[in-house]
Amino acid sequence: MVDVLIPPDVTFVVLTTITLLAAIMALQAKELIYGAISLAISFIGIAGFFVSLDAPYLAMLQIAVYVGAVVVLILFTIMLVRREEADKTEKPEGGEGAAGLWIAGLLAVSIAGVAALAGPNLPTTPPPANLPISQLGPVLAGTYPVPLIILALLLSAALLGALVLAKVDR
Amino acid sequence: MPTLVSYLIVSAALLGIGVYGLTVKRNAIRILFAVELIVNAANLNFVAFTRYMNPPQVSGQVIVFYSIAAAAMEAAVGLALILVAFRLNSTIDVRKLNKLKG
Repeated sequence: MVDVLIPPDVTFVVLTTITLLAAIMALQAKELIYGAISLAISFIGIAGFFVSLDAPYLAMLQIAVYVGAVVVLILFTIMLVRREEADKTEKPEGGEGAAGLWIAGLLAVSIAGVAALAGPNLPTTPPPANLPISQLGPVLAGTYPVPLIILALLLSAALLGALVLAKVDR
Repeated sequence: MPTLVSYLIVSAALLGIGVYGLTVKRNAIRILFAVELIVNAANLNFVAFTRYMNPPQVSGQVIVFYSIAAAAMEAAVGLALILVAFRLNSTIDVRKLNKLKG
């Protein structure tokens, strides 16, 4: 549906630029609040990738859960933790930054290299059929019912745990 | 439409950014940012692979559904832990949270 309006490659390049730049900004921004907002932009970029990969339901879920819930939760935590403490920008100690850059760069380049080497064996064009959202429900509840139940239990356990942890004893 | 490999490369770059944040950053909240970026890189991989499968499959999207829910819980518990750590030590610099060090 997006493909009709804009050439798909342009969409891909724009989404890649937005997502990666916002991800870098999220980690490097001076103030933590701006970092959280950059993180939200990066998540929206990922949601755009989901739309272009024919998963509109996941894109909606991504925006609702990540941008709507997780980033807002992070913003509230930043406000609760004392401001000057949260904003104190961390200068990596001697050589630490370079070492991290090397590790991350090597990891990313090796994974991308493996993907590029496997390229000829990977499909280059996706099958044309688009998956209806209604197909998601039967697979979710019919094929994988047990993970769904475990997820529900885990979710309530995590909520209770977060409440107990954050509770102030009087 | 871009090839599958281009999506994989974007995902690898996002993973690299996340790992850099994990190794270098000292603020606990920023480390949480990095974890979220890594989870998102994995999600992107799942959706890309499931889209390019022939015949089309929906399983990868279901896995990402679970993954998003798990990441939301992880953020909730992680932020509660950060709050407790701040209350007890009045710092969220992970290099200073070394009370368990022998």
